[in-house]
Amino acid sequence: MSVSDRVGEPKLNQPRAEGDNRQILLEVDNLQTHFRTMDGVNRAVDGVSFHVRSGETLAVVGESGCGKSVTAMSILRLIPEPPGKMAGAIRFQGRDLLKLSDKEMRSIRGNEISMIFQEPMTSLNPVLTIGRQIGETLRLHQGMSKQQAEDRAVEMLRLVGIPEPGRRVREYPHQLSGGMRQRVMIAIALACNPKLLIADEPTTALDVTIQAQILDLMRDLKNTVGAAIVLITHDLGVVAEVAERVVVMYAGRKVEEAPVNELFRNPKHPYTQGLLGSVPKLGSSLTGETTRLVEIPGLVPSLKQKIPGCVFATRCPSVTDLCRAVAPALQEKAPNHIAACHYAPVEASVSGTVAA
Amino acid sequence: MWAYIIRRILATIPVMAIVALFVFSLLYLSPGDPAAVIAGDQATPDDVERIRASLGLDRPYLVRFGAWTWDILRGDLGTSIFTNLPVSTMIQQRIEPTLSLMIVTLILAVTIAIPMGVVAAWKQGTTIDRCVMAFAVLGFSVPVFVVGYVLAYVFALELDWLPVQGYTPISNGFFPWMENLILPAVALGGVYIALIARITRASMLEVLSQDYVRTARAKGAAQPSILFVHALKNAAVPIVTIIGIGFAGLIGGAVVTESVFAIPGLGRLTVDAILRRDYPVIQGVILLFSFAYVLVNLLVDLSYTLFDPRIRY
Repeated sequence: MSVSDRVGEPKLNQPRAEGDNRQILLEVDNLQTHFRTMDGVNRAVDGVSFHVRSGETLAVVGESGCGKSVTAMSILRLIPEPPGKMAGAIRFQGRDLLKLSDKEMRSIRGNEISMIFQEPMTSLNPVLTIGRQIGETLRLHQGMSKQQAEDRAVEMLRLVGIPEPGRRVREYPHQLSGGMRQRVMIAIALACNPKLLIADEPTTALDVTIQAQILDLMRDLKNTVGAAIVLITHDLGVVAEVAERVVVMYAGRKVEEAPVNELFRNPKHPYTQGLLGSVPKLGSSLTGETTRLVEIPGLVPSLKQKIPGCVFATRCPSVTDLCRAVAPALQEKAPNHIAACHYAPVEASVSGTVAA
Repeated sequence: MWAYIIRRILATIPVMAIVALFVFSLLYLSPGDPAAVIAGDQATPDDVERIRASLGLDRPYLVRFGAWTWDILRGDLGTSIFTNLPVSTMIQQRIEPTLSLMIVTLILAVTIAIPMGVVAAWKQGTTIDRCVMAFAVLGFSVPVFVVGYVLAYVFALELDWLPVQGYTPISNGFFPWMENLILPAVALGGVYIALIARITRASMLEVLSQDYVRTARAKGAAQPSILFVHALKNAAVPIVTIIGIGFAGLIGGAVVTESVFAIPGLGRLTVDAILRRDYPVIQGVILLFSFAYVLVNLLVDLSYTLFDPRIRY
């Protein structure tokens, strides 16, 4: 496939993904999700752009309140409007989701794009059977009969590794453990073979052994179903394990984007460096390294006022007057690696191709 | 489940016994002497005494309570002092209009109030929501007899669409029966609708903010399905509870409504019996109403398992 065949080649604020010929499935273009509140407009997501290719796993990382969950909810248009307001474009297979009618949007939700939420304990309806909840999407989007939907629900439960699926399908969520419920959520999400799966902190609420099982399951199923995944998380361990490419968000903006190995090896933005520095290293005390974790001082700034300079200026260890006055643009610092920082060095291999 | 139902039915026995004691004592303690009423104005104290003895009113309190309870257990509610008819016969003659009025009111109230509350919760903060809430406050604050007279004036006297008062048995046909019941049911249902709509709204608001509603939305479910399939079943327990509790108000309201619309039901029977100090009739009717209330609340308790699988007995 030639480059020109691809739908919507990434713009300047996204890296030119060289060597990746998979079709672009989702392109988020300058997404702004704002909330009108009593004391002003909260710019939860303020001009974020990224893309996901078919079958790719993209991680979106950042600390609490950086807008990653709002970004995820925006893609499925699950933000209540009002008080929310979305602008920009979210192109899925070339169609702008923000321009679709409610009915068209409903036919995409749970069918072509589905979502897994953070809280498996509360995300399932307590008064409906597991089978009914899995079957609902099938009946809705594939017009299955009650019986067909239940048969397929049993099949899905088996696929996500739930023992005795024939019995479980008739049970209610309270009869299942947290890990099992997240498996059920995955079964619901994958029932219609979606092209894109958005997983919003799918393992955060689970204990560590279950986390690993769920991640393995997601990776296996991704290969079986062939879905692309947008993984929203603050857990860098999870990112390293499953993601191909990473978008780092801070205060409603994208501050860095790179392939996963490149990002871990060579973080450009001071915020990413801080995030990576705050991860405990196994055995660090044995080798005589300092055992105190590096933290990023300060708090995420309020998103109610426009920030004139760099969003990270208030917490950056190497902040200058330039940072406080002028917002740095996203710039390619290394091949396929962009960051929004005035001082991150541009590597020689790209300095000739992109004007600073 | 069956064990639970049997246990719950057995548990109503002490409740009914206490109700019986109250019903009996209340009249015993209230002023007014039925013997004097029966004897009339010209009676001598000896006449009154004779009548009192013939009614057994001269016996001690506990003896009378014991005898009364024993009779009730055998299905004998006593004989009216005034008409000399068995109380059970009098109740049978009067029960159809009251039962009809209550059932029609209940169906009317539930079918109007629940969608109202659901829509108010869905459109929270909008004009629709505010209208529903304003209606609810109005429903609470305007007494049944005022609503009744206003409705009768507008729809019966001015517009001449419906009969002013009276009752037609259902054996005379569904439409004549319904014609007479619409206005009383609307008048009686006002408070009930307000109550159910408010609780439905509050319960739905809580449910609609739950994570599983967001999941349903993310699955592509349409709004009616989210409201009535995913949310309403979760919101049902407080709603059926208030329907049960509100049933007591319905009984009280039926007494007033029957007077306003001249419906020959149990309410009118009760009022007439109280005015005549016809003790056996008063006791019989109150006992019946109490029993109906206990039964309705038992059904409400049992219905919880239908809505929420986490509730097990």
